[in-house]
Amino acid sequence: MGEKKEEYIVEMRHITKRFPGIIANDDVTIQVRKGEIYALLGENGAGKSTLMSMLYGLYEPDHGEIYVRGEKVEFKSPSEASAKNIGMVHQHFKLVDNYTVGENIVLGIEPIKKALGFIPYVDMKEANEKIRTLSKQYGLEVNPTDKISDINVSIRQRCEIMKMLYREAEILIFDEPTSILTPQEVEYLLKIMEELRRGGKTILLITHKIEEIKKIADRCAILRRGALVDVLDVKTTSTQEMANLMVGRNVELKTTKTAPKFGDTVLSVRDLKVRDEDKVEVVKGVSFDIRAGEIFAIAGVSGNGQVELADAITGLDDIAEGTVTLLGQDITYSTIRKRTETGISYIPEDRQTFGVFQDFSLRDNLAIRRYYKEPFSKKGIFNFSVSEDYASRLIDEYDIRSGQGGKTIMRSMSGGNQQKAIVGREIEEHSPLIIFVQPTRGMDMGAIENIHKQILAERERGAAILLISLELEEVMSLADTIGVIYNGQLLKIADAGTLTSQDVGRYMMGVTEA
Amino acid sequence: MNNEKKMNEKGFKATLARFLTNEKWSGFTVPLFCIVLMLIVSSIFLLILGKNPGTAFISFLAGNGMAMKASYGAGSGMLSDFFQFLNVMAPMLLAALAFIFAYRCGLFNIGIAGQMLLSGFVASITVGYMKDLSPWVARPLVVLVGIVVGAALGAVVGFLKYKFNIHEVVSTIMINYIISYLTGFFINSKFVDPVSRASKVISPASRLTMTKVLIGGFYCNVPLGIIIAIVMAFVVHFIFEKTVFGFELRAVGSNRNAARYAGINVGKQIIFSMMISGILAGLAGVTYYLGYTNQILPKTLAGMGYDAIATALLGNSSPLGAILASMLITVFQNGSNYMSSVLGVAKEIASVITGILLLFSACGGFFRFVAKGYLDRLEDYKAAEAKERARQEAEKKEGGADA
Repeated sequence: MGEKKEEYIVEMRHITKRFPGIIANDDVTIQVRKGEIYALLGENGAGKSTLMSMLYGLYEPDHGEIYVRGEKVEFKSPSEASAKNIGMVHQHFKLVDNYTVGENIVLGIEPIKKALGFIPYVDMKEANEKIRTLSKQYGLEVNPTDKISDINVSIRQRCEIMKMLYREAEILIFDEPTSILTPQEVEYLLKIMEELRRGGKTILLITHKIEEIKKIADRCAILRRGALVDVLDVKTTSTQEMANLMVGRNVELKTTKTAPKFGDTVLSVRDLKVRDEDKVEVVKGVSFDIRAGEIFAIAGVSGNGQVELADAITGLDDIAEGTVTLLGQDITYSTIRKRTETGISYIPEDRQTFGVFQDFSLRDNLAIRRYYKEPFSKKGIFNFSVSEDYASRLIDEYDIRSGQGGKTIMRSMSGGNQQKAIVGREIEEHSPLIIFVQPTRGMDMGAIENIHKQILAERERGAAILLISLELEEVMSLADTIGVIYNGQLLKIADAGTLTSQDVGRYMMGVTEA
Repeated sequence: MNNEKKMNEKGFKATLARFLTNEKWSGFTVPLFCIVLMLIVSSIFLLILGKNPGTAFISFLAGNGMAMKASYGAGSGMLSDFFQFLNVMAPMLLAALAFIFAYRCGLFNIGIAGQMLLSGFVASITVGYMKDLSPWVARPLVVLVGIVVGAALGAVVGFLKYKFNIHEVVSTIMINYIISYLTGFFINSKFVDPVSRASKVISPASRLTMTKVLIGGFYCNVPLGIIIAIVMAFVVHFIFEKTVFGFELRAVGSNRNAARYAGINVGKQIIFSMMISGILAGLAGVTYYLGYTNQILPKTLAGMGYDAIATALLGNSSPLGAILASMLITVFQNGSNYMSSVLGVAKEIASVITGILLLFSACGGFFRFVAKGYLDRLEDYKAAEAKERARQEAEKKEGGADA
């Protein structure tokens, strides 16, 4: 036994998993060596998370076998997986907000002691001590007595890592761990991972960001539409090669942008303040201008007021103070319809609930900006043949894939195609101002490339574009001007050329001094 | 694996599932399925009571003039029964339309009974008790009063919702009580008929049902309300399907956030839809209290105001579907008297059967959901089977090559 040529700590052989309507994993085989960082690369819906969920005991495979340390396992629940020293950090953290870090970490395996010999209580002292030691060992810097509600996303994530370490996990699964972090935080996380590798842990990293894999992973399995495409040695493979394998064709990693041609000011926002439902100020006096032909991108960590800012400009949120001027007209207190007619197109962040009517047909959804005007309706009565023709044209032009053309019910279309429909509909208005909020969230590389091209084409046409994105990469590659939002304020507005992504990342954290 | 048991794509289950999920016809097939289920379950129920279900269902029909009774009284016949059926159906259909109109805009109008009562009351004490009015003046006036009172009540509910975010279910239930006791107080103190303990009978000229009209040798009570009701069903259908106003109403009902995003004035639509729902309820009220009956029992809300909700759901909340649904429900409610006398069972048994139908009709969405899930699994199973077969074939080939 000892002389086996290669020792695999995890082996998943011929794994197939079906969900109603789709095959999430199709005969996938991966073999992971002890002490390596093994990345799983693929687009959204490629089946990476499903595969790892089976290793973690959340699902059972329909076919295939899983071996851990050479021993065949059939996990029925995550607790059985953690008994085999497997841990997972999910994309959405599973932490109790009003508990301390320590309490969250011991939750489920609380160290129970008996006071006076019979009254059970949880002994946090010892647990906290153990957490501090582990924290020092791997450079996690978590304080066990902090409350979860008081700490930021990055520390919360480290809490989750600590949870695994506390349970003596040897095989650590990370599900898209960097998607919510700023560049500095990403750096820090990657360092922690290296530290863990040095400590002998095996790491399985799910991601769709090639850069990170290049930086840290040893080997990388590429999944496409549920099937394993290839397993690569990261050191000897180029980024471009990985991208092509992941998408299945050649992709342009760099967007080509023409030299800017700025026109007159289109949108002018002055000292804008917005309050939320609890009357708390979430946008605290923001001012900026956008000129025709300019992409003004707002970078920032989620929840710093960017969505409220966009909603205030479009009229979905009330403006508490300040003014919004569009093409010289004061629209601060105008109705939503007045604003869109003055010249705003809006691709909202939450497209499922704001952008479309899920129960309506694609035809009706595409006509949302025009249905009440001639020739779509006359004297309040529809002329459906007009909206049908309009829908067919948009379906062709924007490559919206739908089962039954304009008749397709929105709900039955994929998220990507819904987004194509929204983007097409909004661009088709040829508005002087177009607001994109997280336009590529959850979309695959091909679709992202496409939407970026459309944004640039609109810039070329002379539209003023407000782009709000959490993806720093997207901001850096598209913006002419960057505004960094932090805690409801624009900390920095500057030409895109004068800022590096490190600078922007620093402002995103609220640090103004270099 | 447990779900790997044989699934037959041509089997009865699959056919039924397809039948229920068919996009074009599901508005029709699902209620039909509910009715079939009701027939089965109530048949079992009747068999347990030792009664013949066939006789029961035929006597339901006979009670509504859709089948022959064994004997008729002097001057009445099948036609008289059928007109009586239309008399009940008219307010039921209008009430169902009232519910549908609000429901499609995302509002739950539970105050139909109250809206019916108040408009019936106001129409009675104004036009109904006025002497010496020509029917040509009185009847349009009654309809007008019904519309105005219903609209006002609905608008109040809509306004409360829009301005103070008071949920329409709460406000309409409360308003129901207020109306019930207030009208009860006025009837008892001012308009009571000392013999019947109900309100005084209205003048025949103002009644929307023309009584004892001789048609084909039978005396029939001809309801004018049924014409109003069926016309309104088509009007509501037209509003929803063909007009910008109806589209915006549905938009608000479908997704309030997206409606706001699209620039629709949500508050205005809420008030309008409650107002029109109130108008339809008001029409139901006048056809009920100044048509089907000609007096008002104090402190009593018409059960029809609530049955209308289930009727609307049975009709898949479509105005044209409501025509069929209200016909069906009326057959059971109106035919219950005759059925119980023929079978010698309590009249309440008929209510139980109606109840079973309403229960199943409320489950329509669930049936559709289950059918859809079954088809999805079937689809999966087929894919898996095809793959398995391909694999086996490949293995066979390999085996052949080896040999």
